[in-house]
Amino acid sequence: MAKTQRKNNLRKATESGSRAILLLSAMISIIAVFLIIVFILGQALPTLKQVSLKEFFFSTTWYPTQDPPHYGVASFIVASFEVTLIALILAIPVSLSATIYLSQFAKNKLAKILRTSIELLAGIPSIIYGLFGLSAIVPFVRNVFGGNGMSLLSAGIILAIMILPTIINLSEVAVSNVSQDLINSSIAMGATKWQTISRIILPAAMSGIVSSIVLGLGRAIGETTAVLLVGGNAPVFAKKPIDMGRTLTMNIITDMAYATDTHRSALFMTGALLLLVILILNLCVVEISKRKRLEK
Amino acid sequence: MKKILTITLVLLVISSAVFAQGNQETSKTVTENYSFGGSSTVAPIANSAIPAFEGKNPNTKISYETLGSSTGISQLMEGTLTLAGSSRVLKDSEIDAGCVPTVIALDGITVGVNETVTVSNLSMQQLKGIFTGEITNWNEVGGSNQKIEVILRDEASGTRASFEEIVHNKIAPKQNSIVAHENGDVASKIAATPGSIGYIGMAFGSIITEAGGTLLTVDNVEADVANVLNNTYPISRSLYVVTMGNPVEGSIEKAFIDFLLSEEGQEIVEENQFIKLN
Repeated sequence: MAKTQRKNNLRKATESGSRAILLLSAMISIIAVFLIIVFILGQALPTLKQVSLKEFFFSTTWYPTQDPPHYGVASFIVASFEVTLIALILAIPVSLSATIYLSQFAKNKLAKILRTSIELLAGIPSIIYGLFGLSAIVPFVRNVFGGNGMSLLSAGIILAIMILPTIINLSEVAVSNVSQDLINSSIAMGATKWQTISRIILPAAMSGIVSSIVLGLGRAIGETTAVLLVGGNAPVFAKKPIDMGRTLTMNIITDMAYATDTHRSALFMTGALLLLVILILNLCVVEISKRKRLEK
Repeated sequence: MKKILTITLVLLVISSAVFAQGNQETSKTVTENYSFGGSSTVAPIANSAIPAFEGKNPNTKISYETLGSSTGISQLMEGTLTLAGSSRVLKDSEIDAGCVPTVIALDGITVGVNETVTVSNLSMQQLKGIFTGEITNWNEVGGSNQKIEVILRDEASGTRASFEEIVHNKIAPKQNSIVAHENGDVASKIAATPGSIGYIGMAFGSIITEAGGTLLTVDNVEADVANVLNNTYPISRSLYVVTMGNPVEGSIEKAFIDFLLSEEGQEIVEENQFIKLN
């Protein structure tokens, strides 16, 4: 009798003990996000003692070690969005076509090979993309479009390749979640396969596709190593896509190792700005997927 | 009741882990630990000198962290480091704060160009023009009609600070330039970009040629050790170790500086392709 009681007690203890551990682990991610925001802001805010927010966001002059120093990141903000835009323009048509092919047409063996290679693409480290960009894309851009090849365009092309797997994988999930009944009804009504895809499947999967694109966008805007190798890294305002430029991430990584004082906190400020952009993007994804649920 | 019990249990496990670490740290202090750090140019000298020095001073453990000259000096002032390596002259503010530099070696800065560049010598005046953006085509300095692509180091690099000071009098360099964030990056960008020109510490000149670039003479003087020592090569500088206040007799920092300046220490300087003091 006492034995079973003790057994029961022990079981309850293990159960609530493991629940406590699980809760703690779940809390860690919340705490981590919170701590990251607090510490980045804590290091970033001293910038404002030396630089006004207006200069920081709207000046294109970045000369942190000159006398007097200038800390304007406007050209980096524009460059970040520009490379991301180029990447999306190149990646969206390709990845949507690939998604449709994979979900609607590819059969067995070929589909398997395609999926494996897309997964492989996702697993390649960004430094490898950068080296590939330096040896292949930079000369390509130099020969075809002119300039020295190190450019926002090269960075955009590399990013386009890098975000393909993100968009394809997630939008394929969205497309394959479209109810088979809906597709069958469409075919039964006499719609061709192409009509079914463009008028039924894509609209039905739209919110999933859009959130996959926003996630790809987030990856593109946060990518550092690959764009650093091919973007030229010049702290100037790029007038054309074939000009050299520097994105927010490149700015942080270039100077971080050695920067001091205001220069250092200005880099943290750049990081805080990037964090803000990514947080907004993630909120967008949450909003979009909420809407998806409502539709159902 | 049981909930409280489990929570205390969990806390106990966590705290024991923390205390275990604490114990480890206290048991280590039998040997004395010293943290040095700073310039990435001084790092190879420090990293070869430290094992030799530790061999002579058992129970001493020294680490040298590669942080860059500026960070090293600011950490020295904060007290995180007790000795900092610097590849640039100290700022007035740093000297006022009590930093004392000691010259331990000399270094030259080598200029390299992409293999497509036909020029093999530049004057200091021409270098200044190129790096400040006044000269933009190789045909202005006796080369072929080819656009000059300037490659700089990152804003906080000691090599860049020295180059700016020696070559272009601190005038801001051309903004529309490729910015490389370390020596290897300079070499690969020179090799990858037609018409490019960049600079690198003399000890690392070989990585430019290995990557496929070529090295220039400056004012018709080759960038080599002999020419830095006889003061004919114009782009040269001193490397320092910095202490807070004069190094105290009997301290490990003073002993380390003396070791660097000794014959054995200067041999280490030379082995690392820097220039010894005499």
